[in-house]
Order: sequence, then structure tokens, then C-alpha cells
Amino acid sequence: MNKILEVQGIGKSYPLFQLKNISFDVEYGEVMGLVGRNGAGKTTVLKSILDLAHPDAGIVKIMGREFTGHENQVRQQIGYAAGGMSYYKRKKVRDIIAVTRTFYDNWDDDECAHYMQAFDIDGSKKIMELSEGMKVKFYLTMALSHHAELLILDEPTSGLDPVSRDELTAIFRKLAAKGTAILFSTHITSDLEKCADSITYIKAGELESSGKRDDFVRGYAAEMGTVPTLDDIMVYIERKGAEL
Amino acid sequence: MITKLLSKEMKLTASPLSYIFIAFAVMTMIPGYPILCGAFFVCLGLFYTYQQARECDDITYTVLLPVQKRDIAAAKFLFAVIIELISFAVCAVLTAVRMTVLSEAAVYIRNPLMNANIAYLGFLLLVFAMFNIFFLGGFFRTAYKIGRPFIAFCAASFIVICIGETIHHVPGLEYMNRTAGTYAAQLMILILGAVVFAAGTILSYRISAGRLEKIDF
Repeated sequence: MNKILEVQGIGKSYPLFQLKNISFDVEYGEVMGLVGRNGAGKTTVLKSILDLAHPDAGIVKIMGREFTGHENQVRQQIGYAAGGMSYYKRKKVRDIIAVTRTFYDNWDDDECAHYMQAFDIDGSKKIMELSEGMKVKFYLTMALSHHAELLILDEPTSGLDPVSRDELTAIFRKLAAKGTAILFSTHITSDLEKCADSITYIKAGELESSGKRDDFVRGYAAEMGTVPTLDDIMVYIERKGAEL
Repeated sequence: MITKLLSKEMKLTASPLSYIFIAFAVMTMIPGYPILCGAFFVCLGLFYTYQQARECDDITYTVLLPVQKRDIAAAKFLFAVIIELISFAVCAVLTAVRMTVLSEAAVYIRNPLMNANIAYLGFLLLVFAMFNIFFLGGFFRTAYKIGRPFIAFCAASFIVICIGETIHHVPGLEYMNRTAGTYAAQLMILILGAVVFAAGTILSYRISAGRLEKIDF
């Protein structure tokens, strides 16, 4: 079995929004972009995977296990970060690490020191003193220090300058090469072009498509009768069926 | 795992005011003052932790840790109980001082409000119970909103404090303000406070743990 994440038919109803029958898989070492417009349901999907939201229907399996009854084991294998996230912003980086490390069976101090150095993170700084890009790198450091095999990232590149985005996407590729699976939501198509192996597209709470990035592009190229960029495809998908 | 979560509460989540406001237990010594308000201020210190926790998105960080959600609720209740019991211990020591060494002190003899005595200790526990039931229990409805639960706690604690501070003015209940003689009735208040505190906190925790499992973050 090489699937690390299996999402099978999840759905959730809110008063003004419905997520319907979302299914896709992520394999070890795969970088998947979860794409859609703002409000399409990307964050709800990620929260459902993390058991932060409770789907009305469907199943999520991580390394073949559902959350219920296995919260501890499953969470030991997951890392999460979100763009704009800022836990304990008045606390120092090293203080947060000192507490966080106690919860993980596989915490690796050497690995933590390695990524702190590689990402140039100063442990004596407060979270509020880090740039948005550094914050994401810090959360990645924490995830990687407990050898998370699945990283779930909610718009990790939003709000970052192009250089920081390029750095992060390069990091994603390096991690994937080591076998770490990454599922990240975004609406910035250039990030997908740089690092995504596969794309899952959600439109208005429904699954539009899920598959390898090249197949995704080829499929829409045939449908659109042109050689489209991911931007073109996104515009095409969103305008498809819309009344002007 | 609860120990680790409790340590996290103390190191990352807690507002320094939660610790500093334990000092309000010393209000037990203020003559001619509604000394039960000290318990309210201790709870206010705990409230600041929840205000700060919301600002720094403590709950999202915590629910993403490899722990069970009921343990998260347990650690948060335990932190509050520890602060409350430390405050209670300080109040108990100071009450003992007022009832013994300072029992003849002029400033305490003519007191229209509540004296520091065994009944006072019972009412303290009742105020803390109101915090655990109304504030903590209310907080775990959403794990986010703190305004309404705090207002509910204020209203409930106001009633407890008013009763505590004035009950000895009711004809026949003058003995509630004694600092010497027999304390059987006052002891009943202390037992009542301890029972309501223990049972209310445990019940509130159980309900809160169930609610936390169902919340969509």
C-alpha cells in the first residue's frame, strides 16, 4: 500500500455552504495541490482530514487508519501549517519547541536543530518577530522534527513574496524526494507549476477533478482546444456553466 | 498525557495575571470590605488566560497535538482548579490568622460585612464552583466565545457573594458571622461549598469534554 491519505466521499453541510462527495488519495512522496477559488471548500476539506471539522458523510484514512480511536497514533504522523497562522505570538520559538517536543514519540532534537539552522530560524525570537515566510518554515520545522510523513498545509504561500514562495516550493520538492507527502491548498497557480505532482480541484464545494498535474493540464487542453496555463484552466473551470 | 497538557497550559497558555491574581486571596485581611470579592478576582485572573488563549489560537494548536480531546478539557479544568485551590489555601491560612491571633483586633470586631470564618471558606468554594460551571462549562460550548460565559459567571458569583456577605443579617442567622464559639452551621456551609465545587467541577468537565469532541474548529 503506497497511499498515505485516503479521502472517500466526504461531505459536510453548513447553513450557506455544502461540501459534496469529495474523494482523492495522496501517496507517499507526492505533493498534491488542493485548488479552488476562495470559499470553494479547500479549508473545510483540510479540516475534515485533520478531524478539526466533522464531516456528515465519508471516511478519511491516514496510513490506513481512521481518526476515531487512533487520534494519538494518527496525529504523530501529521504536520500542519497554515498561512497567516500565529500560535502564541508573544512566546519565543524555543519555548514553543520545548513544550511541543514532549508530545511526540519520535521527536528528533538533531533534526529540529538541523531545520532551524537550514531555515535560519532564531530560537530566541518571538513568533510575532518572524516574517510570514519564517512562520511557515517554523511550523514546518516542528512537523519535520517529529518525522511527520504527511504535511497538510493550508495556503502556506499566501501573503509571501515571490522569493519566499520559491523557497518554500523548493523545500516541498526536497521533502517529497525523502518520501514525505504534502497536501497543500492554494489558489496561486505558479506554486503548482513549481512543485505539485498532482492536483485536486474543488469548485463550489464539489470535486471538479483529481489526478496527476500533467493529465489535468492535458485533459483541459483537449477540452479548451488550446495550450492553457494553469491560470487559464482555473478561469475556464470557474466560468464553465456560469451565467454572464 | 494530562500532565504534559497541564505543563503546556502553565508554560504557553496561561496569562501571568492568572498567577498574579492569586494575590487577591490576601483581601481576606481587609477590614470592612466584601472579602468574598477576592475569589471573584482570582477567577478574573483565570479569565485573562482564556482571553489570551483566544488571541494566540491556543485551542487550534492544542487540538492538533497527538492527544485526546477529553484530556485537553481535563488539563484546562485542572489548571483552573489548581489556581483556585492555591487561592483557597492562602485564604484558609489568613482566615485562621483572623480567627485566632487577630480575633480581638479592633478593626475586625465591628464588621457589617462577612467575617473571615469557616462559612467564608465555604462561600469561596461556591464562587470558584460558579466559575467552573458557568465560565468553563460555557466556554467549551464553542471553545472560542468567552463573553457570555463570563457574564453568566459574574451574575452567579454576584448572587453567591451577596448572600455570603449579608446572610448573617437575617434574624436567627447571626451565628454565620461568628469568629468564636461553635461552628457547626458554618461547617455545613463549608461542606456544601466543597460538595458543590467538587460535583459541579466534575460534571462541568464531563459535559465540556463531550462538547469539545463535537466542535468544528
